[in-house]
Amino acid sequence: MTAAVVQVRGRWRLCGWCAAAVAVEVGLYGSYRGHDARFHWFTHFFVGAATALAVMTMVVVRRRRPVARPLVWPLVGHVIAMAPDLLFTAGYAHQRWMNLFLGHIAVHFVPGRNWTWLAVFLTALAAYLTAVDRTRASDGPS
Amino acid sequence: MWVAAAVGSVVLLSVAQRQEGPLADPDQAQQRIGFVDQPPLPLPAPTVADGLPAVGRPTVVLFLRPGDAAGQCRDVSRRVASTAPVVAVLAGPASCPGAAAVRVDPEGRTAAAYGMRVPVDGGPPVGYAIVDDRARIRYRTLDPDPAGNSREITTILAAL
Repeated sequence: MTAAVVQVRGRWRLCGWCAAAVAVEVGLYGSYRGHDARFHWFTHFFVGAATALAVMTMVVVRRRRPVARPLVWPLVGHVIAMAPDLLFTAGYAHQRWMNLFLGHIAVHFVPGRNWTWLAVFLTALAAYLTAVDRTRASDGPS
Repeated sequence: MWVAAAVGSVVLLSVAQRQEGPLADPDQAQQRIGFVDQPPLPLPAPTVADGLPAVGRPTVVLFLRPGDAAGQCRDVSRRVASTAPVVAVLAGPASCPGAAAVRVDPEGRTAAAYGMRVPVDGGPPVGYAIVDDRARIRYRTLDPDPAGNSREITTILAAL
């Protein structure tokens, strides 16, 4: 047993880094909620997580095994996508070049807004899960 | 797992969108975007009152409803007046301490001239526009609590 993994009832595993990733996301959501700007949390979460899932899918296909700590990747994608908001909090207004952070400004204005990014996120998640399933199937007994 | 993620995401997004208040922008992408000169800006700023906004100094133009005008005017003026005068456009008669000029505009002509958007409840906008020292509108947004978010105003002023 490591510090990051706890055995519960001998069956379910509560992993520390999963809980940490979720806790950080909840904290980030709370920070946006405080600014009456939940919309932006969703936008950057969907965009960052979808990007991370696309990268994860490529890694799974290439290495033929699931990535380690899969919840951390979307969190990292999310933090990259929202980085200009952290700069804004520090007193730096948004500028066009901040689109380098996964299209931080431009992504707000796609038709369908967050519903479009939700669809992109779910598509990326489906692709990742499919890649993981195929890897496991190809490794299993025939 | 995918189904759980899909259902969870849809529920969370739906709940969050329904929690937006009556003063919020119906299109949240347009609210507090945080960067100046979103097209079609910059545009010439119409005069509100007492010759303001004027060339030579940036100006914060507040759009408020009478009910919360006094507190908003006082707090926003206290926090930004050293950088830019605050001009208030009120949807009805109210006091507005700290403002350099006040215009009561129940018909919303000034808000329309500034291109302020209509909030969810369909009433007068609550928010602000930021005018630069060449009397051009560089930023405008609905904001249910300009005083509470006054650091955003100073950040945008610094970006002019």
